Amino acid sequence: MTFFKAQNPQGGPSRRNLIAGIGAAGAAIAAGLYRFTDLFVKHYPPTPYDDVLVALSDREQAVKLGALVSDAPAPPALAAKLRLAFKPDLTAAAKADAASGRLTEVGGWVVPESVALLSALAAKA
Amino acid sequence: MLSPDLAIIGGGPAGISLALALADTKLNILLLESGGMNFDPQNQKLYTGSQSGQHYIALDAGRLRFLGGSTNHWGGWCRPMDEIDFEQRDWMPHSGWPFPRKALDSYYPRAQKLVEAGPWLYDKAGVATASLGAPLKLGDGGVYTSWFQFSKTRDSNLPTYFGHRYEDDLKRAPRVKPLLHANVTGIRLTKDGQRVDHMDVVTLNGKHFTVKPRVTVLACGGMENVRLLLASNDVMANGIGNQNDLVGRFFADNPIPRDVATLVSFAGPLAPYYGENLAMTNGPIVQATFAPNNAFRRARKVSASLTTVEQPVELDETGKAAVITTALALGADASNAKVYSLGCGMELLPDPERRLTLTDEKDALGLPRLKLSMRIANADFSLYHDTLKELGRQLLTAGTGMLKITRRENWSENMDWGNHHLGTTRMHADPKQGVVNADSQVHGVSNLYVAGSSVFPTYSASNPTLNLIALTLRLADHLKKVVA
Repeated sequence: MTFFKAQNPQGGPSRRNLIAGIGAAGAAIAAGLYRFTDLFVKHYPPTPYDDVLVALSDREQAVKLGALVSDAPAPPALAAKLRLAFKPDLTAAAKADAASGRLTEVGGWVVPESVALLSALAAKA
Repeated sequence: MLSPDLAIIGGGPAGISLALALADTKLNILLLESGGMNFDPQNQKLYTGSQSGQHYIALDAGRLRFLGGSTNHWGGWCRPMDEIDFEQRDWMPHSGWPFPRKALDSYYPRAQKLVEAGPWLYDKAGVATASLGAPLKLGDGGVYTSWFQFSKTRDSNLPTYFGHRYEDDLKRAPRVKPLLHANVTGIRLTKDGQRVDHMDVVTLNGKHFTVKPRVTVLACGGMENVRLLLASNDVMANGIGNQNDLVGRFFADNPIPRDVATLVSFAGPLAPYYGENLAMTNGPIVQATFAPNNAFRRARKVSASLTTVEQPVELDETGKAAVITTALALGADASNAKVYSLGCGMELLPDPERRLTLTDEKDALGLPRLKLSMRIANADFSLYHDTLKELGRQLLTAGTGMLKITRRENWSENMDWGNHHLGTTRMHADPKQGVVNADSQVHGVSNLYVAGSSVFPTYSASNPTLNLIALTLRLADHLKKVVA
């Protein structure tokens, strides 16, 4: 009777199990790197405004821009204003701002108000 | 003494165009030019003057004193003025011409031929240049791609230098007598001050003679016209045409601040006709700019100041952050973005305190030298800022790019000038508001006229040469009626 079919005749793990094990370990390491390091994705400490900040595709760049916004409201008010503005989403809000002339000059850059405020929130959060 | 029917003082583009336009009439025309056929430092020195206020080009550096005048160093930029340039605008004090743009419409084609700028395309040039790439797409709004054309001599890209180009035409005209090295030093009125009686003419080597014309046209440019009128004060104590203290006031030029803004084109390089003047095969030379349209200028109360594309530049880290963040927010792809610095062709608002006056210092001919009091108002800059912001808005709405406006303090540091001397003998139907009337005749002096951009009461951002020639051709038609 053979109880351990997968074992090779020399008594070590089979080639298939070895590959599967290495694969599982690799996936676990990758998941760990993704979740706990900034190697694949920049991680930020959780904030009360993450539901808004998630609209930013590149928060790091937005932080640089937002640091130049001079007269933005405090984060809670800012986030509240943005939640209202993002209907349905940032792209729509940005386009609507441009169409209706709601523009802000940030370090000289003419940007939609929603982009300026969201960047300011990213910088302050 | 010479007694022509018509004496034209000044052989620049206005004087030469006027002489040629009247060459086929029965009028005997004397064209008096201070210089010769080429640059002469001694003659040029007669232009020296002083200045105060906003830094400006030296008075003997921005103009040339020989046949052809300042076309001997012009860049050849041509663009007709817009309808609104002629309108009185309540928000722009002292604005408005005594006639609408359509009064010049029939003269522009002939002016275009004289400057040799090729077929009349201007804002239709986009069709002719389509094979070179589409204009930058802008959202609906107040700024549009507007086109300049360029003067060119035959078989080359150089602008038309009026002296050399039309010297033979002037000599061939049987009734036109060009007289070089002839400096008018005084316009002498009859005792009642209502007519020009004669003029004193001097050469640099000391010869004096008198010219007694039936009609005189002053065409020496926006600075020298002032000097002659103010210095000719033997009958009118304040100078000819200066009974209301207007001669020399409202001096203007087109400032050209560089690097006023940075434009990012998300999709990559702009079509080549934005950054350089481009010679089309067997056609005109053109260049595209961004100009405010008439509706925007009326609604938003901005000046004509327009925007040129200068050269490619690089973004700093903040610029990259602004472009990445904004493009991602708009759902635009900016991975191939190209960046350019922008310049401005600015229109100044009319300002009576920006003025030329005489000083006690005399030149080699005994004429008082000029002093320029120069200044630029905050409004001149802020109105243009509004236009730039509109361009930025339209780029965002189209999703094709974005704009950074440079700090205004830096505009003055990178300022060139058009060398367009405008407004100092301004045109207005009311003698209390203008030096010449709608026919370019000096108010109160029945046989003295002024030609050139010194009569422009409002200035536009279009370079003046094409426009002042159209205006001069209109004057020629008037003189045909009243003198011929």
